Amino acid sequence: MQYLNVIRKRLLFLALVVIGVSMITFAISHLIPGDPAMLVAGDRATPEIVERIREDMGLNKPLPEQYWIYLKGIVSGDLGTSLRTRRPVTEDLKLYFPATLELAFVALVLATAVGVPLGVASAVWRDKPIDHLVRALAVTGISTPAFWLGLLLIVLFYGDLGLLPGGGRIDPDITRPPTVTGFLLIDALLAGDLTAFTSAVRHIILPALTLGFVHLGVVARQIRSAMMEELQQDYVRTARANGLSRRNVIFREALPNALIPSVTVLGLALGDLLYGAVLTETVFAWPGMGAYVVNSIQALDFPAVMGFTVVVSFAYVLVNLAVDLLYMVIDPRIRSVN
Amino acid sequence: MIKLRFSRRVFLAGATALSVLTCGSTAALAAAPADTIVIAKPADPQSLDPAVTMDNNDWTITYPVYQRLMKYETEDGKGLTSVTGDLAESWEASEDGLTWTFKLRDGQKFDDGSAVDAEAVKFSFDRLFRIGQGPSEALPGGVEVTVVDPMTVSFKLSETYAPFLYALANNGAAIVNPKVAEQSDDDGKAYLASNTAGSGAYRLASWERGQTVTLEPNPHYGGDKPAIDKMRIIIIGEASARRLQLEAGDVDIAEALPEDQLEALEGKDGIAVQNYPSLRVTYLYMNNQKAPLDNPDVRRAISYAVDYEGLIAGILNGNGKQMHGPIPDGMWGRDESVIQYSRDIDKAKELLANADAEGAEITFLYSDADPNWEPIAIATQANLAEIGLNLKLEKLANATMRERFDTGDFGMATGNWTPDFADPYMFTSYWFDSDRHGLAGNRSWYTNAQVDELLREAALSSDQAEREKLYAEVQKFVTDEAAYVYLFQKDYRIAMRDNVEGFVFNPMLLDIYNIAGMSK
Repeated sequence: MQYLNVIRKRLLFLALVVIGVSMITFAISHLIPGDPAMLVAGDRATPEIVERIREDMGLNKPLPEQYWIYLKGIVSGDLGTSLRTRRPVTEDLKLYFPATLELAFVALVLATAVGVPLGVASAVWRDKPIDHLVRALAVTGISTPAFWLGLLLIVLFYGDLGLLPGGGRIDPDITRPPTVTGFLLIDALLAGDLTAFTSAVRHIILPALTLGFVHLGVVARQIRSAMMEELQQDYVRTARANGLSRRNVIFREALPNALIPSVTVLGLALGDLLYGAVLTETVFAWPGMGAYVVNSIQALDFPAVMGFTVVVSFAYVLVNLAVDLLYMVIDPRIRSVN
Repeated sequence: MIKLRFSRRVFLAGATALSVLTCGSTAALAAAPADTIVIAKPADPQSLDPAVTMDNNDWTITYPVYQRLMKYETEDGKGLTSVTGDLAESWEASEDGLTWTFKLRDGQKFDDGSAVDAEAVKFSFDRLFRIGQGPSEALPGGVEVTVVDPMTVSFKLSETYAPFLYALANNGAAIVNPKVAEQSDDDGKAYLASNTAGSGAYRLASWERGQTVTLEPNPHYGGDKPAIDKMRIIIIGEASARRLQLEAGDVDIAEALPEDQLEALEGKDGIAVQNYPSLRVTYLYMNNQKAPLDNPDVRRAISYAVDYEGLIAGILNGNGKQMHGPIPDGMWGRDESVIQYSRDIDKAKELLANADAEGAEITFLYSDADPNWEPIAIATQANLAEIGLNLKLEKLANATMRERFDTGDFGMATGNWTPDFADPYMFTSYWFDSDRHGLAGNRSWYTNAQVDELLREAALSSDQAEREKLYAEVQKFVTDEAAYVYLFQKDYRIAMRDNVEGFVFNPMLLDIYNIAGMSK
């Protein structure tokens, strides 16, 4: 029942967010100088050609009418047509979004899988070498530009060692598994195609490492401080006094509690990863939203940019909803408050 | 202290991951297969419809996929700007130069096996004009195409148009299979944006957006079977990554590498960095309508203040040459007797003093559409400061900047120009005719009634010697009045694996490869 309430409230909120975001992006994209019709017409177009294109695109209609048409489109899943690729934005997003999501998820899993143990170790062995190492790693992670780290990894693992591919999502000579989820790793498994799966794994390692590295530090630091707080609590001392082994105290008692605030960090991290994937994708020729959006921005392709913004805001709100629900699952106190 | 031990399970998982990591490591370094040419491009194509695309990045795919009535000639492995028949076996013009009749070559087929006939030619040009976007601009308006017999087609122009044959070799003049009209009810526009329907040596096999585009041979192609079985384009946004893949041999040709990367590649084993003189020019627009640039002396002063040699040495690493008037080296009609400005600060100051324009402020627009524009803007700002002109640099999104050209809301700006067809018309009528003010080509908003007259006469004449004379006159006016700052012609530089053979560079076909004639 409580869950349903939260979901209902959040979905209402979601509708408001979509209206707000669409209004802001629409206003911005129509207020900044730059005529999309001219862009479509090409370099040497005469004014007549530009005028005809403006009419075709409905750009000569009054702004409120254009917005109304756009909003109606969003509701029915139509985000307009990209000026650059000349395809429906929804189609383009369907094509590129799963690639970015897949990369972001794998990066998040990597960051968590490495960051949580490091954070725990750093809290347990506070001010010992491992703690210094983790702190150094966290600072490096946050301050290393993704494009630089990415290039370094490519030079090393592709250029010098020849161990991993230098970019792309899958070897172009391998037939792709049929698209079901758009996540290549999952689609390959569903099709039982081990060759495609291996190739996809090999292609995702370096970009996911690059993208995940930034958040590894964040996760490790977050876990470290949460763990330190928990380890000073009375129940930890009591548990130890009662004869529980230190390992049990750390992993069974303290860690689950330390993880609660970290769920928020991870949820926010996923949002960050979606945006942050842009640079990583460019370096690794990863066919995701990154290159698509950057190219769209440079070309003033406002239907594409607006479509991206709306979808990402949507995803952001959904992730937050998921985080809140997760909170209620792992922390009974929150459940009772709601 | 507790001891954290690795469980056997963790160890196994690690070992498995490691084996996935290294297995097939040889594949990562395997060179591109011998029957495939792999080209690394920085950006995905946008539209493959020849009636829509104005972008060489798309033409890499469309040019070898379609045939046109005319094609550029090749002599001893060198691409020329003169044209000869491609689908056209023979052609003739009526005496008044208004009607052109083309006889089509037999045995040419689209990739579905249907014949390329006069109906297809008519369909393609009618469609080009119906759609009416950028590519239709290369031909004059009011062209009427008539089917004379199944293999003969005639074009009726409303007025003579000297560059007509040249314009027929342009990407937009591609002959399209009329069956596309059945594919989508918008004249095949939606279909052709991401499919091909031509009679060239290749056809589109697949397009994984943002990743790869693959061409395969057209099984019904009327010419010789090509040696290369597949052309694959892979999209790699980052220049360093393109270079690395070229060095590793995964890529045969890497496009758009910056000068420093090319420099580093020169002399490397297995890599050939090629330099070709191109017709791509870089110049500065000066808004002739706006004070103080409406005064020719100010424009001359600017032309004397710019450090041409410094720009070519510093920005192009010496891989280019200074322009001499508007028409680039390699294009007929160029007259080298006109003035070529060179750096002369004293003269510049004197001219500026005459014009009483010292200390004037001029807005200078540029964008990052070309990485060279920013250094050019900064260098020009420093050059002009020396003579007492104050440039206010404004960096804009390219589309925004183009709009400002069209409304004339700027002082100076950077620009590049590549001809669509091999005729001096591209560098004169477009740049100086007062009918084309703004984005259409006359970006300096230059106005001179005498020049207008000369240009219109030259465009109507079909006598080349006569036209050369007229263009020589034009060049005198526009260099003396310093309509633009004529900066430089940039060499086209491209890095390939050194086993790639048979590539013919044509200055009219940048980023376009004669794959059917290539091998490795």
